[in-house]
Amino acid sequence: MTKEELITSLKKIVKPYIQDEDAFEKLSENTDFINDLKINSANLVDVILDVEDEFDIEIDNEAMEKMLSVKAAMEVITTKLKEK
Amino acid sequence: MIGNDIVDLNLAAVQNNWERKGFLDKVFTKYEQDLIFSSKIPFTMVWILWSMKESAYKIHVQQTSKRFFNPKKLQCKLQSETEGVVEVNGEKYVTKSGINNSFIHTIASLKNNKKILSTTFELDDTSYITQHKESYKKLIGIVSKKWKLAVKDIHIKKNKVGVPKLFLNNKKLSTSFSISHHGHYGAYAILN
Repeated sequence: MTKEELITSLKKIVKPYIQDEDAFEKLSENTDFINDLKINSANLVDVILDVEDEFDIEIDNEAMEKMLSVKAAMEVITTKLKEK
Repeated sequence: MIGNDIVDLNLAAVQNNWERKGFLDKVFTKYEQDLIFSSKIPFTMVWILWSMKESAYKIHVQQTSKRFFNPKKLQCKLQSETEGVVEVNGEKYVTKSGINNSFIHTIASLKNNKKILSTTFELDDTSYITQHKESYKKLIGIVSKKWKLAVKDIHIKKNKVGVPKLFLNNKKLSTSFSISHHGHYGAYAILN
């Protein structure tokens, strides 16, 4: 999976939870889920669960700890996909 | 230092499905899950514990300047429905919650601090930007009144880890405070 495909797929996952449309339109690797997209922290749990479902991976709490940005989420997904 | 968190219960009911597969295990320890399932209204207990974790996290970030996303790491103990302790990385925070049919508001502090100025308020507009501005305005209003400062001289800016700080003109104030908003409710807490 290319970086672009990964970003597209993450963009689809976060869409229902975002509270800042402008930041969502400009979504890039550097986008922060909470500071930029204003995703409610309880909904960030949903994002993590949706990522698990979409990629059929399991994200342990240690990996989840870092998942505050698109970039960090991409790293975690890539690592977990390799472990499969 | 101080942290606070408000949960609009009507919004939480539609915005989050706590019964979703995997949700509880990502967020709550075994002890907390037992509290949830043994309580009369599990839904309410979910959000009491959540707001305890969130308010304690807000202090922890101020202390460590390190952000993380791992609600389970913030471990709650309840002395009563409204009073508890949250422990994370060896640090302990005391929490007090106000609960009614509409919202849960929790304040976390380092010790049982009595010098806390706190208010909850209603927000008509639920758009994030409006709520954010309105909550900042409320806090600036009370700071202005309390310390007799001109509203136009007071600003709030977030630092690099997203913690809001008060400024008088360009001078950073040491006042410890916390702002929260969710759905139709907002709240702040200031340490006197």
